[in-house]
Amino acid sequence: MIFPTGSKVTGKKQHLKFSSIGEKTMTTPTKRIAINNGGGYVPGLNTVLTGAILAANELGWEVIGIRDGFDGLLFPERYLEGGTVPLSHHLVEALSGAASPILGIAARTDPFHVRTVNSENQVEEVDRSNELLETLRKDHIEGVISVVSARNLGILWKLDRKGLKTVCVPTSVENDIAATVLSFGFNSALSYATETLDRARQAAQSARKIGVVEVLGEHAGWLALQAGIAVCADAVFIPEIPYDLAKVAANVQRKLKAAGRHSGLVVVAEGATPLAGHQASQTQAQSPNPFRVSLCPGAMDPESSHVIERSGHVAETVALQLQRQTGQETYPLVLGPLVKAGAPTAVDRQLGLGYGAAAVRAIKENQTGVMVAFQPPEVKLVPLAEAINRIRTVPTDSVFLQVARSLGIALGD
Amino acid sequence: METQAITKQPLKGLVLNIQHFCTYDGPGIRTTVFFKSCSLRCKWCSNPESIHPEPELAYNASKCIGVKECGFCKKECPESAIFTVDSDVKVRIHWDLCTNCGKCVAVCPPQSLYRFGQAMTVDQVLDEVEQDSTFYRESGGGITLSGGECLLQPEFSAALLAGAHERGVNTAIETAGNVPWRFMEKVLPHVDTMLHDHKLTDPERHRKWCGTDNTRILSNYMKAYEKFPKIKFIARTPVIPGVNDDEEHIHRVLAFIRPHKNVVDYELLPYFRAGASKYGFLGRVYELSDFQPPRPESLARLCATIDAAFGRTVGKK
Repeated sequence: MIFPTGSKVTGKKQHLKFSSIGEKTMTTPTKRIAINNGGGYVPGLNTVLTGAILAANELGWEVIGIRDGFDGLLFPERYLEGGTVPLSHHLVEALSGAASPILGIAARTDPFHVRTVNSENQVEEVDRSNELLETLRKDHIEGVISVVSARNLGILWKLDRKGLKTVCVPTSVENDIAATVLSFGFNSALSYATETLDRARQAAQSARKIGVVEVLGEHAGWLALQAGIAVCADAVFIPEIPYDLAKVAANVQRKLKAAGRHSGLVVVAEGATPLAGHQASQTQAQSPNPFRVSLCPGAMDPESSHVIERSGHVAETVALQLQRQTGQETYPLVLGPLVKAGAPTAVDRQLGLGYGAAAVRAIKENQTGVMVAFQPPEVKLVPLAEAINRIRTVPTDSVFLQVARSLGIALGD
Repeated sequence: METQAITKQPLKGLVLNIQHFCTYDGPGIRTTVFFKSCSLRCKWCSNPESIHPEPELAYNASKCIGVKECGFCKKECPESAIFTVDSDVKVRIHWDLCTNCGKCVAVCPPQSLYRFGQAMTVDQVLDEVEQDSTFYRESGGGITLSGGECLLQPEFSAALLAGAHERGVNTAIETAGNVPWRFMEKVLPHVDTMLHDHKLTDPERHRKWCGTDNTRILSNYMKAYEKFPKIKFIARTPVIPGVNDDEEHIHRVLAFIRPHKNVVDYELLPYFRAGASKYGFLGRVYELSDFQPPRPESLARLCATIDAAFGRTVGKK
């Protein structure tokens, strides 16, 4: 589905056929490349490794895995078996898609701000990027494939500017990385969220309540929207559409009454916010203790609650408001990081393998400072500069929004 | 970590804020001067803007008037760290690309972009502080240096406190104690009251939650108790549920401070979440986002332990 035979991997200048991976190139001089995970956990990270290892093996290259982002190189003394792992193609057989990533994970790896304790016992953040580049050079590593989230793309871009040959693989369960239609991990998260929403609906039916389920999505509402559509939720709140709770409550109430239902299902993204001037009263009631908060001029501003307070806050707020306005009992439920775990779907397995292989191709073609991106029907290489200052949000003319509206799903506006 | 600023003439310090009418930072009504820079990284820190030793950018999106009406910051940023997405009204910040150059701050009319940290001279600070001298006289208050860690700028702190004494203002400092003794030794001769933190007693737990162990902190406190007998010392613990809200910690702190008669009190500061939103303004992640303030009954129990140790009968928070 994702990579039909003969689909193309394209860079700026040329198109490469996936089928060409099958051509043995054992005569090519051996090259050493490294791979790391620097984007937090998503289902099936090992499949990207598998794709890269197999593709590199076909080229006669050696692949080294760096543990915990770049920590394996910056802090090798922390690892009993060394900070790097040789990744042979024999290892691939033991790599299960559902298993924990063998290289570990680092939700945040920033060689420009490495926290250390100096000789004066003071904690500080120091720039160790030069040291990292020197270590890679000494280890004769000619390119690094980094599986990273949107937030870490900027760091890799900065490293690339300093001379690191890097190819990024986008990973995000929120699918918020720009320049690619699909980030690795999103499809698995979507499948899990959909399955759990089905269960939440049944639980709501049993309890005769409205279930308000919060899913990840700080800046982009793809997960909430697509999962909400998949289960025909009564309402979906996403960050892109500030919600007017009174309107949604009236809408949901009308739907329940018309259908004679006593239960419902509302999906909220954790980054969903109320319309300006419609701040939830619960948030206002929790005004900060005046004790030592005036340092920041904005801290006492009631509208400063645009910052995500904590996981579950939006679900609680919406559930409470909805209960007040509909008279129907509600209960909040938070999926949170659960969607990041588990086994990858078939789509993500294909995507991971394809992305890993495409990243190796990019290094072979001397493409650096790029991200592999799925832009149907092709896998392209896009410059990191085109991806770092953008977020893939749900556009107002999205077909998913149209579908949701057609199904009668309230969208907060 | 003595900043470069303090080596120049006239002597300047990096100040975060001057807050008037404080009642929790020492005796009486006080004016608290918050310093920039800290040598610990406590995960519950409610003043994250005070941590880094240099001025830094913050962004409060709720004040942004939008790129259509304004958008100067986006044009001004040399690193392209300010951007918008699709139909965004307000700008977003790419924090990894920002170099804290401050060019955007200068062109932001509603001050939704601002910088934490400002170099100030001793007289500039004292002139501001002295405005409240009437309150100090009536309440027994004065100036309190806080942070961040005020002892990381020892020359400036010492000059500020000496200047306050010259103007007849009572002095106090709030410190976490993780500085070289030579820094502390330079400032303490000018201090009337020292509020000092005992965050965790176990060195390894201290390292986990605060970034480094507490060996030097305790050593500094011990020296301070002994070498500066005229200072009133007040021990404090920020009470973080599940981290240090156990009686064992309180007992250990009491065992450390009670032999020293110049430690006149031990206060508990219950964890609160007011600083959480500031992490967002600075583009950082608040690691304790799921923590809640301690329960009143838990606090009352700990307070009773302290009151008993100090021979008091009335609960004191």
